[in-house]
Amino acid sequence: MTAAGFIVKNALRNKRRALLSVSSVAASLFLLVTLQVALRELTLPQEGAGAALRVAARSKISIANFLPARQRPIIENIPGVEAVTPFTWFGGEYKNEGAMSFAQFAIEPKAMRKVFVEARMHADAWDALEKEKKGCILGKITADKYHLQVGDRFTLVSTIFPGELEFKVVGIYSGTPDDRNMFFRHDYLDDSIGYPGLVGMWWLKVKSAADMPRVIDTINKDFANTSAEVRAESERAFQLGFISMWGNIKVLIASISTVVVFTLVLVSASTMSMAIRERFRELAILKALGFRRRELFAFILAESFGLAAAGALLGIGGAYCLYTYGDISKMTHGIFVSFEVTPRIIGAGALVAAGLGIIAAIAPSIAVAKMSVVNGLKTLD
Amino acid sequence: MAADNIVTIRNLSKIYAQGEIQVTALNNISLDIAVAEFLALMGPSGSGKSTLLHIIAGIDRPTSGGCRVQNVDVTKLNESELADWRNQNVGFIFQTFNLIPVLTAAENVELPLLLTQLSRAQRHKQVETALELVGLADRAKHLPRQLSGGQEQRVAIARALVTDPQLIVADEPTGNLDSHSAQEVLGVLQALRRDAGKTVILVTHDPKAAAFGTRTIHLEKGELLNDNSV
Repeated sequence: MTAAGFIVKNALRNKRRALLSVSSVAASLFLLVTLQVALRELTLPQEGAGAALRVAARSKISIANFLPARQRPIIENIPGVEAVTPFTWFGGEYKNEGAMSFAQFAIEPKAMRKVFVEARMHADAWDALEKEKKGCILGKITADKYHLQVGDRFTLVSTIFPGELEFKVVGIYSGTPDDRNMFFRHDYLDDSIGYPGLVGMWWLKVKSAADMPRVIDTINKDFANTSAEVRAESERAFQLGFISMWGNIKVLIASISTVVVFTLVLVSASTMSMAIRERFRELAILKALGFRRRELFAFILAESFGLAAAGALLGIGGAYCLYTYGDISKMTHGIFVSFEVTPRIIGAGALVAAGLGIIAAIAPSIAVAKMSVVNGLKTLD
Repeated sequence: MAADNIVTIRNLSKIYAQGEIQVTALNNISLDIAVAEFLALMGPSGSGKSTLLHIIAGIDRPTSGGCRVQNVDVTKLNESELADWRNQNVGFIFQTFNLIPVLTAAENVELPLLLTQLSRAQRHKQVETALELVGLADRAKHLPRQLSGGQEQRVAIARALVTDPQLIVADEPTGNLDSHSAQEVLGVLQALRRDAGKTVILVTHDPKAAAFGTRTIHLEKGELLNDNSV
């Protein structure tokens, strides 16, 4: 027998309690990891490869306000701008689903292929979109979800614009941070609503990262004090600004995580205390046999640590496997496209488990250190 | 102290303070125990016999007086030194056996050896020898719940012997046993004194058990009453 063997036998002497303890740690750490990943995905959305050169320009009043189409040549003529595409939210419902399950945007194909460079698609698809007025390109996730293929036709009913539009799939793209969206020609939208001369916002690509601050500044100044003032910003700033509209979700998730950890500490400390309390007499025997306080503390710590580590392995490992190898888009009905359990989140979870193992061992260790052999022997007499 | 005394106690007192009330468990006791003696400590409940045994074994401390065991003043050792000293010099046998339920008989016996520098093979050899001494070599792999009370107590004796201590202390070791098992256990203790030269201190209520000793002393209200050497 080794000291390690002795610790394992002690930890598993009440198998049901050990299983429940490990399960409670595993479930809590699974939840903690899930919350942390969700927080990360919500507050730090992935950047596309071309994000460093992209600028979003929207109405200064609100993202819901339209901008006049006449702004486009002005923006295109700003030195450093390579391409500009309108970007108008269509808000269509697919097959009377009752809710919008993927986003659709009206764009200008020639400019769009220059602006969103990371989309991987068959080379002919962009050309087909330019030729086919009713054409659209679909993100792979959405195409897979609805079993749509190139050549298929479908209809969307807009919740913003009157009427419905029929589309023909001319391409399916992938490789972007969000392969769910659909893009179609802006002139098709304009046709259907009678050319109002409005767009939702502008997306543009600058020639170099060095041009970006100047281009943003110029756009903002050019449209200042006009009837349609513009707020231009980098893609990253736009994304973060968009997220800030969700309210203080960070505080909410942090609060839930804190409660999870705190509850976990209470449960584990209570379990360890009970386990040690039941063995007070045995620990007194060990003391009588010559085991010192530090050895008994090591036994208790190792047992507590072992249970927490087993829970961590199941909880964090389970979360990692599920979110890495599972279809997160399907599981969340498209709310999350990616759900990456990063090394930092794994490390944080492991740190919580380690802290848990140590904290849960403190109270029983103090009790055992204070216990005299004689009093310990009387415990169950 | 005579050279052949293993335990020398002088003017030993133990007073328990419970709030404002003070209870005298041992009152100015002086006692010598010789090497290879089988001493039976008798007395009614609360007479102080277990307290005296605990002090000799180094698991309790006196309020005043001295207690030397194998030329070491155990009252002067700190917690850690006492733990080491107990591991090397004292074998414990308790009334309720106190085996660890999740360990086999052999593993229970091996426990005190985990604190030594012995290799695994050496430990196994000593465990085997100790179990053979108490006649339980064939029960090495059994868990305590698979043993009878008498067998459990013999495993506890093997655990007390495995580090080869000179002093064996037994606190009511037959209190939970039937008369046949009690005879067996006392026989083993007697053989340890006779054949291996161990010093055995036995606390008991039972005059039949005390009869196995070479000497019996009586305690009452913390004081020595008489000393009947055999």
